[in-house]
Amino acid sequence: MRELIDHTEGINRLLARYGVKFGLYKNGTFHEQLFPFDAIPRVISHEQFLYLEKGLIQRVNALNLFLEDIYGEKKIIKDGVVPEEFVFSSSGYLPECEGMTPPKKIHSHISGIDLVLGKDGEWYILEDNLRIPSGASYPMIAREICRQASPETFRNNPIVDNRNYAKMLKEVMAYVNTGGVPVIMTPGRYNAAYFEHSYLAERTDSELAMCTDLFVEDNYLYFRDYRGKKQQVGVIYRRISDEYLDPMTFLPESLIGVPGIMDVYRSGHVAIVNAPGNGVADDKGLYYFVPKMVKYYLGEEPVLKNAPTYLPFYEEDRKYVLDNLEKLVVKDVAEAGGYGVIFGNELSREKLAEMKHLIEKESRRFIAQEVIDFQDMNIMEGDEPVPRKADLRAFVLSGEETKVWASGLTRFSRNPDSFVVNSSQGGGFKDTWVLSR
Amino acid sequence: MGIISLEKLDHLYWLGRYTERVYTTLRNFFKIYDCLIESPEGAYRDYCERLNIPDIYTSNKQFVSSYLFEKENPDSLISNMNRAYDNAIVLREEISSTVLSYIQLALDTIEAGAGTTAPVFDLQPVLDYLLAFWGCADDYVEMEDCRNIMKCGKYVERLDLYIRLNYNMKDIEKEFNKLVHRIQKTHMCYNMEYLDRLTEMMNRRADWKTEYQEALCYLGGIIEVR
Repeated sequence: MRELIDHTEGINRLLARYGVKFGLYKNGTFHEQLFPFDAIPRVISHEQFLYLEKGLIQRVNALNLFLEDIYGEKKIIKDGVVPEEFVFSSSGYLPECEGMTPPKKIHSHISGIDLVLGKDGEWYILEDNLRIPSGASYPMIAREICRQASPETFRNNPIVDNRNYAKMLKEVMAYVNTGGVPVIMTPGRYNAAYFEHSYLAERTDSELAMCTDLFVEDNYLYFRDYRGKKQQVGVIYRRISDEYLDPMTFLPESLIGVPGIMDVYRSGHVAIVNAPGNGVADDKGLYYFVPKMVKYYLGEEPVLKNAPTYLPFYEEDRKYVLDNLEKLVVKDVAEAGGYGVIFGNELSREKLAEMKHLIEKESRRFIAQEVIDFQDMNIMEGDEPVPRKADLRAFVLSGEETKVWASGLTRFSRNPDSFVVNSSQGGGFKDTWVLSR
Repeated sequence: MGIISLEKLDHLYWLGRYTERVYTTLRNFFKIYDCLIESPEGAYRDYCERLNIPDIYTSNKQFVSSYLFEKENPDSLISNMNRAYDNAIVLREEISSTVLSYIQLALDTIEAGAGTTAPVFDLQPVLDYLLAFWGCADDYVEMEDCRNIMKCGKYVERLDLYIRLNYNMKDIEKEFNKLVHRIQKTHMCYNMEYLDRLTEMMNRRADWKTEYQEALCYLGGIIEVR
């Protein structure tokens, strides 16, 4: 392991060589930034992984059933388990998807579940990402390079090889493919996750397409080559948000979508990965109800815990939140990427009062959570290990079976006083080792 | 993987052109740089004129720093390398991460060289990386069509520069033959009339000094990317 850590600089140099970057807009200008890698891995024991695997599969299966239900019969609402206010007022709920069933009834093919390990040794789920979760490509390529940097480390430790992510993704795409070539659709190189789009296209042998390469004809989706020939597309792993996907159905001003693609999807002539409309299930407000979904759909006790969460929408919870705001973390349900996260203990008295007023006024807009005292992980700063906050994004892939990738993206904060680990906020990443025994 | 869109065709062609532009102009710059060591001020002017780039430079020293490293100078080496990168970055699945990495290395090397007092010494690896890029492309770019399109761009650019820089006829002929060979291997549209006219100029051993404008006009219009 020491040998691996000693090679940190060299590993980062190779990551730079392979263009492992993410994009950021600052003051209206696009910048590409390297994603700093720390060579001290997160290590998940075999037993821990079996536990996580069980809980994650359970959770994602329940979420997929919820999505199938919510755009179909809505039994969970009729049975009073989830209030309709939380479903239909969610910005992720798309009435346009009502009555649609995706190929093989899979809505969330790639789920990115964010977890933290509390100081009490318990894993807590912070949020579910069921739209277009990104990040798998970083540990994929980092592992490749780490193995070159220190073969001894990998020879002497029983680490599960994580370089099968592309194969898993390919299998999922093949399983839902309705007949045609697989395509990864990107909004273009100025997207924050463009590296990942192009890397996954390379690794899964998919076509990387922009909207201009795709067109709809006679209710089928096609990819056009430079000679004017067309090839039918059977599955599209789109890396653009729902609202931009089809200007005929969603935002008419979208220039990065494919006109008519939703009609093709509705007819079952193409699979869209992940399915449109998933945002309703990863809404921060609906997060509160996921353990209830597990019980409702699967008749099982949830294996994994949510962080203790309060919904100001409910009077009792609102009262608790207003009385204890200074020790809670408040999240704006409409925000993502680490934005809209407010720690009560960091607010001045004046700001605290403003926040309370806002919560009273727009109770559906916020959730509040107990601040989980999660375990620090060491990162190297110069030659010294220093503790920093880190989370784990686990990737769960749903195809013929639901499988958990034996790795994940461990992101850490480089700021000693911060809990926010997002790359867009200056964080770095680590490899995640799952031990095979 | 296996379909080349019109957009990608454009990027492949221009990736070939810009990498070649950086490669050949840098090799030429190395020769000029040596002359500039003892030459009087303004010795770069003839070079600018041949390349048809505006002489915006105030001294030999300023020419060296601006022509090589100034991002705001559209004719600089770094601007052309950035254009090569912009075309390459959207072609990862066509050309592979391995091939793409040489473009990244060449760009990083030029960026790191800004402010150097020994540009020839510090930029030598750029030539090595670009040669590695082409060598690697032959091995790792699986689709023959992709390789041919890139090489068409490369030979069009090389011919353009050789004609402008008044290379000898033998070199120009050699590159022209390579271009014709490549064009015929691709499925791209090309302008047969321009190709015939250039062939005719080659056959009668045209005087490039007086006829280069005409030759460049045909050359620039041979490949119809859009």
